[in-house]
Amino acid sequence: MTTDLNQFPQLDKTKFEQRGIQLEIGVPVTCAVSIGNYIAAGFGDGTIRIFSSGEKHKTLKAHKGVILCMAKDGDNILTGGDDGYFLKISLKGEINEITNFGSRWVDHVAAHNGNLVCSSGKVVYYWDKNKKEPKSLNHDSTIGGLAFDAKGRRLAVSRYGGVTVWKKDYSNKWKSTKLDWKGSHNKVSFSPDGKYLVTSMQENVLRCWRLKDKLDFAMSGYGSKVKSFAFIDDTSYLATSGAIDAICWPFDGEGPMGRKPICLPYIGNKQVTFIEPFPDEKAIFAGLSDGSVFLSQIENENNTIIIRSFTGSEVSAIAMTDDKSSIFIGDMSGNTLWTSIWDQ
Amino acid sequence: MENKHQVPVTVLTGFLGAGKTTLLNRILTEQHGQKYAVIVNEFGEQGIDNDLVVDADEEVFEMNNGCICCTVRGDLIRILSGLMKRADKLDAIIVETTGLADPAPVAQTFFVDQDVANKTKLDAIVTVADAVHLSSQIEDHHEAEEQIAFGDVILLNKIDLVKDENIDVVTKRIRKINPFAKIIKTTKCGAPLKEILNLDAFSLKRILEVEPDFLESDHDHEHDDDVTSLSFVSDKPLDMEKFQNWFGKLLQTKGQDIMRTKGILDFKGENDRYVFQGVHMLMDASPMGKWPDDKERSSRLVFIGRNLETMNLKEGFEACKSE
Repeated sequence: MTTDLNQFPQLDKTKFEQRGIQLEIGVPVTCAVSIGNYIAAGFGDGTIRIFSSGEKHKTLKAHKGVILCMAKDGDNILTGGDDGYFLKISLKGEINEITNFGSRWVDHVAAHNGNLVCSSGKVVYYWDKNKKEPKSLNHDSTIGGLAFDAKGRRLAVSRYGGVTVWKKDYSNKWKSTKLDWKGSHNKVSFSPDGKYLVTSMQENVLRCWRLKDKLDFAMSGYGSKVKSFAFIDDTSYLATSGAIDAICWPFDGEGPMGRKPICLPYIGNKQVTFIEPFPDEKAIFAGLSDGSVFLSQIENENNTIIIRSFTGSEVSAIAMTDDKSSIFIGDMSGNTLWTSIWDQ
Repeated sequence: MENKHQVPVTVLTGFLGAGKTTLLNRILTEQHGQKYAVIVNEFGEQGIDNDLVVDADEEVFEMNNGCICCTVRGDLIRILSGLMKRADKLDAIIVETTGLADPAPVAQTFFVDQDVANKTKLDAIVTVADAVHLSSQIEDHHEAEEQIAFGDVILLNKIDLVKDENIDVVTKRIRKINPFAKIIKTTKCGAPLKEILNLDAFSLKRILEVEPDFLESDHDHEHDDDVTSLSFVSDKPLDMEKFQNWFGKLLQTKGQDIMRTKGILDFKGENDRYVFQGVHMLMDASPMGKWPDDKERSSRLVFIGRNLETMNLKEGFEACKSE
């Protein structure tokens, strides 16, 4: 007996999946950034794929192992890997080694205005754009995350026991301030207006400092670790993963203290694992543990559309091009979607 | 469908010079057709060069969950999550701890971190012991004693350098601390890898299979802070509520001294066997199906730890028997 596959009901594809390009790479997508109207995505086998509309994507072999982190530096891509390499890669595919730590992993990278940083273990390395040799900034424990503020004047380094904020003084010497809170701090970010600093912790909680007076407070109630968060529409909201809803804390006015977050629910009761802002709008892309991705308006929970249906694998990267025309989605099994957002 | 495959993780402990590096080199060089990643510590006794070797700083973090002895290995959370992003799938991961390390934070990491627990599972704690020096190491260093207490498998290494009667003495010393562990006598850590890796020793099902190997006699010991073990058996069913109250309070207040617990419990009015195991205050428990028809129902409970004799364990356990 032969089976006619057409007899089986087809799972509905979203219109974005129908018109976009879907790939099954078979290797976890670990990170993605937008560079102009290009998206660069990093994979667990050390490859980078560069997507742009109207062209076939380009594949580069950059690292020997997992690409652990990625950042944008002007028109270039910065990557760090478990092969110990810190690389700068152009959109054309030229790969330049910035440094190489041997068997030590490059855990985090960041850049601002040509100044580059990476962390490996307990040390942050800072390359001033005019200098060849990096400056080492030492810490007592392994670094959980790195972030510049919007102006690139301050560098926040999260670690066990809090955050160290580095700043150059008038004589160009590095000075640090410590923001302490017991426990292990991972991802870190300044608010775009520079008033707040937020970390996600090993426990299911976010810690926030108001920088003008170092007042600190927790944002809690999560069912799992908050692995992804982002400020939305400048500093209007902080949208976070870690629950079956996307949790959006209000940061306008006097900040989130004493105010309730907006909780955006999704069908299927799956954990939200990835949050990406829709630039300049009070709207987010939320990726779930089953691979589905939704676009929601924060202040109107009924205004949610599905971008990608489930794949069975946790969403691990979402990036939108700077012209807001196209979006890239990737998950831990290597299923990717590259699609235009607007109907023709 | 969500991928529930969990990579087994073996924790390799052992006092300085016992032979951990010898074993690691065997794991990395032998033709076994398996892909093993090895996480080594910065104080490794000699360099091992291999793509699948990851350097780690042994960073012990306290968790803010109100549990005073809940410490985890922060570096391990980071490294295991990185290894799970690799293109090639690993058959097993081996974590080497430093010679002076307490194995508890490593084990607790698998109870506490969701991502680690979803994608990997603690397979077994393997302790390499130096047959020549173990007795004196246990006397002088509490770490050596803890490593024996936590072991699921103990490789009693360098037996070619020790007389037979002394091997018996060392074996008895190990048994007094840890009646559960499987002891494998080796020279140059020459045990088959299948007796060391992929044992599933932390699976609750395995507890049903392992019969503790208790020494008949002595609970006498020279120092008050010696690690010892105590076990209790009851043919009379237990009262579930009484047991939960007693045991919960016990772990909460004495969890720092109680290193490992295991048990199979027969509760009054319940058809299922209840199985549990714990590391300090953290515990994993589950009903494990009906009692087999050919086996008498009974409850067994084992503690490994310090100052056990001060905890009134016998009285506490007796009081849990149903009326």
